[in-house]
Amino acid sequence: MIHVEERKLPQHEIPIERFFSVKRLYLFLSQHTGKPSKLLVNKGDYLEESSLIAEGDGLISSSLSSPVEGKVKDIVFFNHPVLKKDTAVVVDAEGCSPKAYSFDKEADFLKREDLLNKIKHAGIVGMGGAAFPTHVKLSPPKRIDTLIVNGCECEPYLSCDYRLMVEKCEEVFKGVELICRIVSPQRVIFAIEENKPEAIKKFNSVISTKKYSLPQQKLAILPSYYPQGGEKQLIYALTKRRVPLGGLPFDVGCLVHNVGTIFAIYEAVYYNKPLIERVITFAGGALREPKNLLLKLGTTIAELFEEGILSFKEEPVKIVYGGPMMGIALKGLNYPVMKGTSGVLFLTRKEVDLREESVCIRCARCVDACPMGLLPLEFVKKVKNEEYSSLEDFYIKDCIECGACSFTCPAKIPIVHYIKVGKKYAVSS
Amino acid sequence: MRLAVSVSPHIKAGYDTPWVMRQVIYALMPAFLASLYFFRQDALFVILNCVVTSVATEEIISRIRKKPSPIKDGSAVLTGILLAFVLPPSIKWYGASLGAIFAILVGKHLFGGLGNNIFNPALAGRAFLMAAFPKMMTTWSEPFSLQAITEATPLALRKFDHILTPVSHLFLGTTSGCIGETSSLVLILGGVYLIVRKVADWRIPLSMIATVSFISSVFYLVNPINGSVLFHLFGGGFMLGAFFMATDPVTTPVSKTGRFVFGISCATLVMIIRYFSGLPEGVMYSILFMNAFTPLIDKIFKQKSFGAIGAIRRKKHER
Repeated sequence: MIHVEERKLPQHEIPIERFFSVKRLYLFLSQHTGKPSKLLVNKGDYLEESSLIAEGDGLISSSLSSPVEGKVKDIVFFNHPVLKKDTAVVVDAEGCSPKAYSFDKEADFLKREDLLNKIKHAGIVGMGGAAFPTHVKLSPPKRIDTLIVNGCECEPYLSCDYRLMVEKCEEVFKGVELICRIVSPQRVIFAIEENKPEAIKKFNSVISTKKYSLPQQKLAILPSYYPQGGEKQLIYALTKRRVPLGGLPFDVGCLVHNVGTIFAIYEAVYYNKPLIERVITFAGGALREPKNLLLKLGTTIAELFEEGILSFKEEPVKIVYGGPMMGIALKGLNYPVMKGTSGVLFLTRKEVDLREESVCIRCARCVDACPMGLLPLEFVKKVKNEEYSSLEDFYIKDCIECGACSFTCPAKIPIVHYIKVGKKYAVSS
Repeated sequence: MRLAVSVSPHIKAGYDTPWVMRQVIYALMPAFLASLYFFRQDALFVILNCVVTSVATEEIISRIRKKPSPIKDGSAVLTGILLAFVLPPSIKWYGASLGAIFAILVGKHLFGGLGNNIFNPALAGRAFLMAAFPKMMTTWSEPFSLQAITEATPLALRKFDHILTPVSHLFLGTTSGCIGETSSLVLILGGVYLIVRKVADWRIPLSMIATVSFISSVFYLVNPINGSVLFHLFGGGFMLGAFFMATDPVTTPVSKTGRFVFGISCATLVMIIRYFSGLPEGVMYSILFMNAFTPLIDKIFKQKSFGAIGAIRRKKHER
């Protein structure tokens, strides 16, 4: 694990602002881990807010609802940050007043199956970035004894989870209560990094009131390391259990959920509101004002600039979709936000590192930095020599691509790039 | 808008390879000043000679190989300084120059240049000179006098004449010996700087010091003429070797266990050579010898990944 400069100010202290008067949305059928959703609408169809656009296809998939009232303008291939181009439903907003969601009094009496169905129907996925369908994660094949609420937010710049914890603290607890009803763990651990004092204070006070019917609960204040919020690192830090190679958290009796996901579960169950909006941090030195925006899914970054919600102070040299350690560099502004988008960063020359790669001097900083105990320099060597078959002997599959190795490399070797290439060939060989 | 598109992470640590090399050079500065104090212009000439020859050799080779000039990275300067530090002050100018050429040409570039060499280039240069000019390499000067006489070093005095030099002389450096190795005080200062700045890993120096302390204390108890713990720690090139040669990242293991193995083996070899061989000193040979074993150590002591350990524990649990 490594120390990375946090760079979370000033967005850390800026309250969430909503922007719903969007004109056009681009909704990808593939914005989660797993099979793309199955399209249910046609060009020209009229959509109500929160009506289903696409449904989950197969075991690991997710459904998608319309974030606004409007019309299906077209179904096109659009700029996708991960897949380059992918099928997107273009929705033109037409409604004038947003839909009012009312509190569902029945929610407190729903059974486990009904809760899971609601979550599945709402199309909730992990909102920390991996976007794994939540209803699948909530039906583990093994018993869960520990539920971990992930409020670490260890990526620099990002502050959306922190704002949510501060502003929607009670709602998050209600969400945790729901998860406990589904998986019935023996204990709940709230994990927050020490650089979030306001959130720690709020969570502490709620825990001490004991007004929510949770099992044994504990607040763990963790030192700010990167990648402390990685699922496997977090489980290890809190329980000293190691998720085995190729395994998942349930293999060690744990379940980890991000606070954003938990808030979405709360809204889906108590307000019958599908996952159609989320909080996203917009930050970086190139922006005049960084913001935490509550946006409709599918809103393009370009539209935020056209509407004057965001503006540039200077020209960015890199736009990053996600955090600066694991995010993806974009080619422009014409990209929509998705379920797993935690932030969009507009970085200046001073903030990014574009130095050229030089030779490895085997200093082993990458070895010391790797949270998975791997030898990153060996991956680079093997991939450069095209010795793909030996990559598995070095446990390449255990790599979580957190970027700690590249960060610490004095030779500026893009180690993660080589690992990604290696993973591709290691699988095929 | 012209945007850079590259793989994550998008932010990186501020330092780079030249910075790392500079830190090592800074750490050698106390020893450099001490060498000027003890061996005056002799030390200065040898150091300048080695540095200039190393840099020139590096430049010529990279032009022949049509590669971008690696001068900026500072590694040739460092090799030059380290080589000069392990040469006697009275060495002839052509001896030092040939040593530097050998270090860069054979020690470094024949293996593929920075990062690919198996042996520590400076020590390879010294080993070459030991074989080529044994007389020149064993003619020593008394500090401050500058007169080249075949004065024995403290380790040779112990071995062949059973005379123990006082530890305080070894610690401060007022003895004969190689240019940069005599004063343990300044080398420890530099070494601690390297470790504090996290430029060098503490595992190798620590395991070397611990091993030498252990072995020499056993031998000292058997017979005090074998030399005390401090005599062996401060004598000869041990401190220079432990802090600056055995921590050369390129030629030493990368895994944490491997670094301990490397350090313990190096120090054991040093003591075997000092006690049982025909040579008074063995730091150079033991480090070069262990350099050759680095790939093997890395292979045997390859660390298990987080998940692999998890899988082993699960199997144990299931049983």
